[in-house]
Amino acid sequence: MTADGSFLDTIKFIVREALLNGGRRYYLALIGLLIVALYGMYLWIFVQHAPIFLGKEEGGLILTDLSDSVPWGIYIAFFVFWVGVAAAGIVFGIAAYVFGDKEFKKVAVLGEVQAVAAIITVLLLITVDIGRPFRAMILMPQLPNLRSMLDWDFIVLTGYLTLNLIGMLVTVHYYRQDKPLPKKFIVPFITIAAPFAIGIHTVTAFISQALTARPIWNSPLLAPRYVATAFASGPAILLLALYLAERYMKGFKVDFSVYKKTLYVIVGSLVVGLYFTLSEVHEIFWYTTEPMKKAQAQVLFLGYHLPYLAKMMWLWIGLGIAAVILGILPRVHNSKKGIILVSVITIVAVVAEKTMTIIIPAFVPGTLGEVHPYYPTALEIGITAGVHAIGILIYLLLARPALKAVMTHYFKGSGAHH
Amino acid sequence: MEGRINQSRRDFLKVAAVAAGVSAVSFVAVSRDELKKLLVPVRVEDLIAEAAEAGSPLERRAQEREAKLKQWCQAEAEKICSSMGEDSEACKEARKRCAMIKVKATGPREGVRFAMALDVNKCIGCRRCAYACVMENNQARNLGIEWIKVLEIPREEMEIVYANMHYTDAPKPNMVYVPVACMHCEDPPCTMVCPVKATWKEPDGIVVVDYDRCIGCRYCITACPYGARRFNWAKPYVPVTELNPNMHILGNVPRQIHVVEKCTWCIQRTRDGGVPACVEVCPVGARVFGDLHDPSSPIRRVIEEYGAFVLKPEAGTRPRFFYFFGPKRTPPREPGTERETGH
Repeated sequence: MTADGSFLDTIKFIVREALLNGGRRYYLALIGLLIVALYGMYLWIFVQHAPIFLGKEEGGLILTDLSDSVPWGIYIAFFVFWVGVAAAGIVFGIAAYVFGDKEFKKVAVLGEVQAVAAIITVLLLITVDIGRPFRAMILMPQLPNLRSMLDWDFIVLTGYLTLNLIGMLVTVHYYRQDKPLPKKFIVPFITIAAPFAIGIHTVTAFISQALTARPIWNSPLLAPRYVATAFASGPAILLLALYLAERYMKGFKVDFSVYKKTLYVIVGSLVVGLYFTLSEVHEIFWYTTEPMKKAQAQVLFLGYHLPYLAKMMWLWIGLGIAAVILGILPRVHNSKKGIILVSVITIVAVVAEKTMTIIIPAFVPGTLGEVHPYYPTALEIGITAGVHAIGILIYLLLARPALKAVMTHYFKGSGAHH
Repeated sequence: MEGRINQSRRDFLKVAAVAAGVSAVSFVAVSRDELKKLLVPVRVEDLIAEAAEAGSPLERRAQEREAKLKQWCQAEAEKICSSMGEDSEACKEARKRCAMIKVKATGPREGVRFAMALDVNKCIGCRRCAYACVMENNQARNLGIEWIKVLEIPREEMEIVYANMHYTDAPKPNMVYVPVACMHCEDPPCTMVCPVKATWKEPDGIVVVDYDRCIGCRYCITACPYGARRFNWAKPYVPVTELNPNMHILGNVPRQIHVVEKCTWCIQRTRDGGVPACVEVCPVGARVFGDLHDPSSPIRRVIEEYGAFVLKPEAGTRPRFFYFFGPKRTPPREPGTERETGH
């Protein structure tokens, strides 16, 4: 290896660290995830089956519980959630390079890794949802139709993915050689990436926000609400990943201030998110001129036709408030365990808020007053789990080399690779 | 050297700033109409549906499709004939239909804007239009796809939340029947959201879907305020003995799996001067179809005579499917029945 090393060497380093340099437990985790991922992929091929691979006449999306009344289901629901998680990956970067926090610089790369993994999950969720994925691959680059929010979303998502891949690669490249990140790179990077992070989630909200056909999405609060709760769940997942990294990687230590400052972000975002929910409830139940919106809100909050939606919604409100209260108790936020507890509660709360409860109520009752309940089938849940397994796999594969490189730079002589 | 480069860099920045300022000012200073003209997105009809020209891509595709369909149809007919006998009714029917298959790519006529109107007082909710539509447009028999949905709405409050489309007996005196299909809006939200431009509004106002481009993302279903679009959740099946051989490449050619389809106002009939099947079949003559630009067309006459309304005007889509309360009701209203059976 030359003294400064090329990017090719860095990629080799990442591949080597990701695949060849792990303990037994690491490989077991990889294999487990791979099995779930392959099973999910098998299920997806089974659903798509006929049209593309085998030329047979069976199969198709009819095997899911989706219908003309509820054309988007659990796939798009989790798509929304993971876009939020990807967007929040930038939080560590902002803390490190905008506010110059030394401790956050050590872990900023983890945010980039999380963004990459989350966006790949997002793109896969879209792919399993659309009926003709291969046709989409051919048409997407041919016809960027900028009137369609879906195209904008595709552009910002792939843009953000590229940005984070570059960010991660450069960070690993420099830290691996025990050099600090050059200012020439990091300043423009943060300047572009930070608005991009907000942008991906805003555009995702805009997909549904302006559809007059779906009154419950017709709220100007939708995009801010997306971003607010994203900035609760994303950092919470980052903290969880940090905690696991500290436990399972020898010599990796993070200052407690990282946990505590991130908790501020989580609690602040939760408060804003809960406040937005309150504001929407007021608008819908006190006074709305749109009878359909009220009917859909009754499905969402009171569980008409679909009881599980109401349970999820109240889970969000209950757990969200619980997380805020726990987060402001000094005994909780002064211990690492307590902060992790708040993070886990936050993740569950935001999953309840930002998945099915966002997507489904807009379709029940439908545009013509038709009620068609939607319950995700085992098949759909299996496919979703498979896609998530791929996401976690990528997270795991990229996070270890990235953190090892960080250790080379920041924790010299503490068991790091050199 | 260094100084000169810096100087030229500074000059470049100055020029760029001035240019940006000037263009911003001129952008605002241009009149609104001019701006609108400039900001018109690519005209999709220029891009795709140059169907009027001979040998256009659409026409070529129509020919290819016709050959393929004939092949498939003859294979199906062979199956029927070998199982049911050469001189059975089904075999003859299948053979006849296969021979008649014709896939057109007729383009829109100049200066035509189609529109439809429906007399809510006349409609008896018999759903014959929905059945005729299924037969005419080769809709999948295995998926239960119907382009026309008939809503039963209480007469005193025409609010769609109270609509019921699964009624079993009709007509009821205190109800009105509102068939809903594609409204062929002036500003269709479905065409705007399509990520691959697989759906667009033709110059004669018919909103069409290109089944060969649709990727099945179902965004248009989500965007349509009238629930007019249907998705083929599995491979659609049409028996050849019921196949309508008069086809249009953008209309009623048998669909593929995982594409969205919708009402096209029977593009295969109306572009040749006919009327849609639902208009033809309606037993009470509740439907009126015509060219909105033609002063002598029936659609102009009913709108001028009775006045019309559209569903969900607040959606801002400007539908070209009008409803009106015509002169009399069928069956005649019996006195005293309205209150008793109120919903």
